[in-house]
Order: sequence, then C-alpha cells, then structure tokens
Amino acid sequence: MNDFANEHYRRLLDALPCYVTLQDRELNILWCNESYQRDFGLPYGKTCFELYGTDKAKCSDCPVEKTFLDGLIHSREMTVKTKDDHRTNMMVYSSPVRDDNGKIISVLETAVNVTSVKDMQKQLILLGQTVAGMAHSIKNIMMGLEGGIYVVNKGIEDKSQDEIKEGWEMVLLNFDKISHIVKDILYCSKDREPNLQEIRPNDVVREVYKLFKSMAGSYAIEIRLDLDGNVRDAVIDPAGLHTVLSNLVTNAMDACKIDLWKDEHLVEVRTRKGKNGSTIIEVADNGIGIGKDLKAHVFEDFFSSKGDKGTGLGLMVTQKILREHGGKITFRSRPGRGTTFVATFPRKELPNGAGQ
Amino acid sequence: MSKKILVVDDEDHVVKYLTIFLQDCGYETCSASNGEEATEVLHREKPDLVTLDLQMPNETGTRFYRNMTKDKEFKDVPVIVISGIPGRHLAVSKPVAVFEKPVDRNALLDAIKKTIGE
Repeated sequence: MNDFANEHYRRLLDALPCYVTLQDRELNILWCNESYQRDFGLPYGKTCFELYGTDKAKCSDCPVEKTFLDGLIHSREMTVKTKDDHRTNMMVYSSPVRDDNGKIISVLETAVNVTSVKDMQKQLILLGQTVAGMAHSIKNIMMGLEGGIYVVNKGIEDKSQDEIKEGWEMVLLNFDKISHIVKDILYCSKDREPNLQEIRPNDVVREVYKLFKSMAGSYAIEIRLDLDGNVRDAVIDPAGLHTVLSNLVTNAMDACKIDLWKDEHLVEVRTRKGKNGSTIIEVADNGIGIGKDLKAHVFEDFFSSKGDKGTGLGLMVTQKILREHGGKITFRSRPGRGTTFVATFPRKELPNGAGQ
Repeated sequence: MSKKILVVDDEDHVVKYLTIFLQDCGYETCSASNGEEATEVLHREKPDLVTLDLQMPNETGTRFYRNMTKDKEFKDVPVIVISGIPGRHLAVSKPVAVFEKPVDRNALLDAIKKTIGE
C-alpha cells in the first residue's frame, strides 16, 4: 500500500462517528481512531477495560474474546466511563482481522454511543407505565360513576328525591374528576404561552377556597386562608393560578385524608409579597408528610404516591405553569407532621398591547 | 336473619354504591374507610363476609387482612377482594373471589351468594 492510501484510510477511520480500536488477545489496544483517543485518552500500553474504566477487570461476556475464540462477529451493550468520568452507554461490535492464512491476528472493535437512545427508551417505559397508571385511576372513577348512576336509578324507582340527589352528586363529582385528568393531559401535551392578565391573586385563592370548602368539610378537614392585603395586582395567567391552587389544595387534602394519626386536619393557603415584587403562594397541610425516600421523586414527571388514585399529572402541570411564568415551586415537609408547597410568581409587566 | 357484609374501601362513593346495592339484595351492611376502622367494625359487627379494597393508602387494607387472619374468631370470615390493580390480591392468601374495579355487580352478587347464601 502506498503512503497516500495509508494516510487516506487513517483519515477515514478517524472521521467515523464511533470508536474504533484494534485489540490483541490480551485486550491490549494496538491502535485506535481519533475519537477514541479524544474521549478515552492515549491507549498505548493499556488494555481495553482499563480505558473503559470498568473496575480494572475484564468485562463479563467480552465480545472481543468471543471473536478471538470463534472468529464470528459479536455485540454487547455496555456502560463505560469516558476519561472525564461520564457514564456512557455503548453498543460494542467486534469482528476478526485475519492474516493471509486466515488466522485471527487481532480483533477490530467498534463502539457506538447509544446514551441518548437509552434515555429515550427510559422515557418511553415511563410513559407506558404512566398510561397504565392513568387507566387504573380512571377505572376507579368509573366505579364511582357507575355507583352514582345506580343510586340515581334506584331513586327514580323508589321515587326518592333524596336518593336521586345523592346519586347525582356522585355522578357530578366523578365527572369532574375525569374532566380534570383530561385537562391535565392536554395541558402537558403542548407548549403554550401563559395568558397573562393583571389580576388579584387573593381573589383567585378565594374562588378556589369556595370550590373546595364543602368537600374538605366532608373529610373533616378545615381550609383556612391567610391572605396578605399587600398582595394586590399581579400579572399572572388566572387560569394557570387556579390550576396551581387546585392541584396543591387537592394534594394537601389527600395528605390529610390518609393521615390517621391526627384528630384535626388543616390546610392553610397563604399569600404574601416576595423579593423584587414577586407574589408568593403557600399551601400548607398537617397531613402525613413526605418521607425521605419520596422527597427526591416529588417533581419527577408522572410521579405519584397515591397508587391507583393518582396520575402524577398534578405537580407536573403545576411545575409547567410556574416555569411558563418564569417562577418556581419548592416544598418543605416533615414526615408525620405535614408539608408546605411554596409557589413563587415573579413580578411581570403586561406585554405591550395585551390585556385591557 | 339476613347475613351481614362489611364493605371496606377508602373511596366514599364506592362504599355508598356497594352498601346500597347489597342492601337492595337483602343483605345487612356495615362499612369502614380504612384498615384500622375496619378492625373496629369487624369486632363490633361480626360480619359474615368482607369486601376489601387493597389499594388503600398506608397498606392498611393488607394489614387489616393480616390481623384478621391471626384472630381465631375471625380467621375464617370469607374475603372478597375488590381492587383497581390486577394482581394485588396476592397480598390476600385465600380470597373467595377477586374483582377489578369497576366491579360487575351481578358477578359480585353471585360470588357472595355462593359463599354465604342469600
């Protein structure tokens, strides 16, 4: 082979968007391409597993060794570490390099970074689980709907107004629950600009309070308001704020409902002015609290601790709304004592020409 | 004397639905919304059969069942599991029947009749 062709082949191999190495039977690296050297360092005199940072031992199921044994192409998925300590998922292929007599003299390994594919795979699995979880919570609601219909029918048969009313309330409440889930799903499925308007946050809090007061009462939960009169006008999407409050109050009530250790349960909604003219809204409960092991997952997409009664959409939507406002949401919690969620909406100006 | 059924579910509506339905079918009913309460009602009312939701928070349904089977007086009370999640009945070793929500109420009634009679 002349020098020109040699140089040309080297450049071709360097340009390949994957890691290429040539290895001997002891897995010493005889040669590598440029991308390998860039991400795993100078290989000469070192073995494959030393450079891949896999605990300084040979990987189990090494495809290169297999190729040396049977002369076939092998592949394996593996997690390796780059020289900057980044964990990378690789798809590794090994193929034999033979001399003129057909004897295997070395093995060519090509490794492709599949980290992004892996991440996508994880997300798809999560999505699948979520859809299944959602189906379960919808099943639960359907049972409530069916119950309501049964009671209404019985009321009609018995000519009992009370029964009809009772059944109809069950129907309406469960209908509400389904609409809520559907709205949350739709909200998550698209990016949207918040519909910013000049509003009085305290008014929205009072609206939500009215909505939840009687339901809370039926679970012996008291909802209390502690509204700062200085929180006056703020530029916030009113529907977004309404959703944030509804979700936080629903969660707070659920945390109280499953707490069997306290006699009196309280959900308190507070408003106050924050730094730089921001509006802070807090929803505090003295419910069951969030355990250490769950704390890290609270803001994960689709995470729910409510079994088949939750979808994991509530806080996901809440977070999305705050992000769209440039705000943030945090929480503090003590297991057995209660939880407080804090939503901060930054001060905003109405965009020119918007609003009244 | 009509037979008595204890309905255990943390969902108000489900309790209402099942108790009204079972009463219509001629059974006496009592109910509880969590495992702790269920133990209490079990001792007070001494039901002939229990329908149990295992998907209640804090695993109180499972705990209730475990306590019940350890209690000489109640260990043979038949249990029908009603759950939103298939496979959950594994927590109960010998349910007479397992139903997924939403429940087919006629099938439920059949199972009850078969177990404790009309």
